Amino acid sequence: MITPHILNRALMILLISVAILWLVIPFTMAVLWSLVDPALPWTPDNLLPPVISTYRWSYMWENSLLKPALLNSYTLAPLAALLTFAISMPTAFAIGRYDFQGKEAVKLVALLPLVVPSFVTAIFFTSILYQIGLAQYRFATILFAHIVLFLPYAIRIMSVSFEQVRIDHINAARDLGASPWAVFRAAYWPAVKPGVLATLLIVFIKSVEEFAIAYIVGQPGFVTIPTLVYASLGQDFNRPNAAVLSLILAFPNVILMLFLERLLKSANPAMASGKGC
Amino acid sequence: MTRPSPWFIAVLLLPGIGLIAVFIGAVIYIAIAQSVGFYNLTGDSGFSMEFWEKLIGRKSYWTAVRYSLFIGFWAAVLSVAVAYPLALWLRKPFKGSLTISAILKAPLMIHGIVAAFLFLNIISYNGLVNQLLVWTGIFDDPRRLQNDSGAVGLLFLQVWKNMPFALLLLTGAVQSIPQDTLNAAQDLGAGTVERFRRIIAPLTVSAMQAALIIVFIDALADFTFQTTVGPTNRQSLSQYMEFFRGRGRWNEAAGVGVTLMALSLIGAVLMALTARLIFRERPIARVVTWYETRRVEAQT
Repeated sequence: MITPHILNRALMILLISVAILWLVIPFTMAVLWSLVDPALPWTPDNLLPPVISTYRWSYMWENSLLKPALLNSYTLAPLAALLTFAISMPTAFAIGRYDFQGKEAVKLVALLPLVVPSFVTAIFFTSILYQIGLAQYRFATILFAHIVLFLPYAIRIMSVSFEQVRIDHINAARDLGASPWAVFRAAYWPAVKPGVLATLLIVFIKSVEEFAIAYIVGQPGFVTIPTLVYASLGQDFNRPNAAVLSLILAFPNVILMLFLERLLKSANPAMASGKGC
Repeated sequence: MTRPSPWFIAVLLLPGIGLIAVFIGAVIYIAIAQSVGFYNLTGDSGFSMEFWEKLIGRKSYWTAVRYSLFIGFWAAVLSVAVAYPLALWLRKPFKGSLTISAILKAPLMIHGIVAAFLFLNIISYNGLVNQLLVWTGIFDDPRRLQNDSGAVGLLFLQVWKNMPFALLLLTGAVQSIPQDTLNAAQDLGAGTVERFRRIIAPLTVSAMQAALIIVFIDALADFTFQTTVGPTNRQSLSQYMEFFRGRGRWNEAAGVGVTLMALSLIGAVLMALTARLIFRERPIARVVTWYETRRVEAQT
């Protein structure tokens, strides 16, 4: 007789096999392709590349747009994280700490950037930039668009964090004669700290990964890592080079996402995803 | 919670909500206005339905509409259909269930463009899938699997990327169903399918609707998967919009943009309503409620 225990075991073995096909093989293939030596190509009759070499990595570093793309992506992301966080704070505080008329409508408006398709936002934001003559300021305009697009995440996470600040802690600190700064340190900070870190991290990841705005507003000439990876999959598709770029885009973000997941679990389990708004 | 003055709240909301409303409002406004001839970047501006008439008269426009709706609908339905059994299986924790959950949700962490590259790599002419099919004798020679005209590869990638998100939403909903309710249905003779159709689906319909809507909008407006692994003989609406913009034909691009926004809204509402209608509370759910009430009464 098939017991639930046996069924679970069978399903687990099946699922782990699927997971290997699902994740392990594709990533292993990408790593192997990034290590193919151009002098000795990896032909279908070989199970593994005949020679393992880091040539592609050094070639991409020296001869592609990788350096400006890394510089742009990793300058945009921290700035977007800090500015989005700062701009979201008053709104998140109002939603988290006060009761007011139209609060549900405000929460819905906050989700608008996630509902409008990103390519529509990107294309008509560019149109506005042309109308007002600001299209040449690519870095600043992409940064501005990233801030607005990722505000929903920051507002949501920070308002939940502010809700968790206990009024009796605030009152106790005040009763003991604490200064506003001391009240913040004692009552607010312990409750909002995971939310602050989660907000900074989620906006950072989202900004590094953002494609539509960077691709449309950045044309021509402004590259970020996702637009560079996308370009490498186009007409000049060179698999080893695309493998190097894909891994450069994927790995730091996977590590950051794992860290974020732990952080969000400690802050609020319902938010344990980038899309959790 | 305290109720401060509305002015104070307005000042607090201004930098966040104000910025979002102005930015997204301006984007929607400019798209609608450009689609009817205003804000032209070159030439005269003025109200005109000419661009809409041209757009609607094009066969390629309707092909893009039909194709994007097809991708949006099937990506949403398949992602939710695959996620449901997995969410039910992982409802109660067991040894290894956390690992499985993590593996299944891993694609959430992988960028869409990277996923497209990994997929292209596997299905390429000399890739693993072709080699496996030749080795097993299913294919005599490798075949071109990339950019298949039936969009099977594209739908596979859409489900790969979106199913984990549907799973995330459904897991929470499925876990909140009381075990007693399921036991009661089982005692009343409901089989697995009946329990799903009459108990689980109606009780988790909100999460199902959320998953359907979000995946639908995401897949309807897809650009990157379509341009990397999608069929080359058809264009998605985003691709079609970018095609016009790239040629400086902003008014037509705006028409496609407005279509995309309208279809996102209409399609999402229709999907949510259909899910609600199909899985509305069935008589058996009322029977179960009655059964539970009687059981609680008997215990007290």
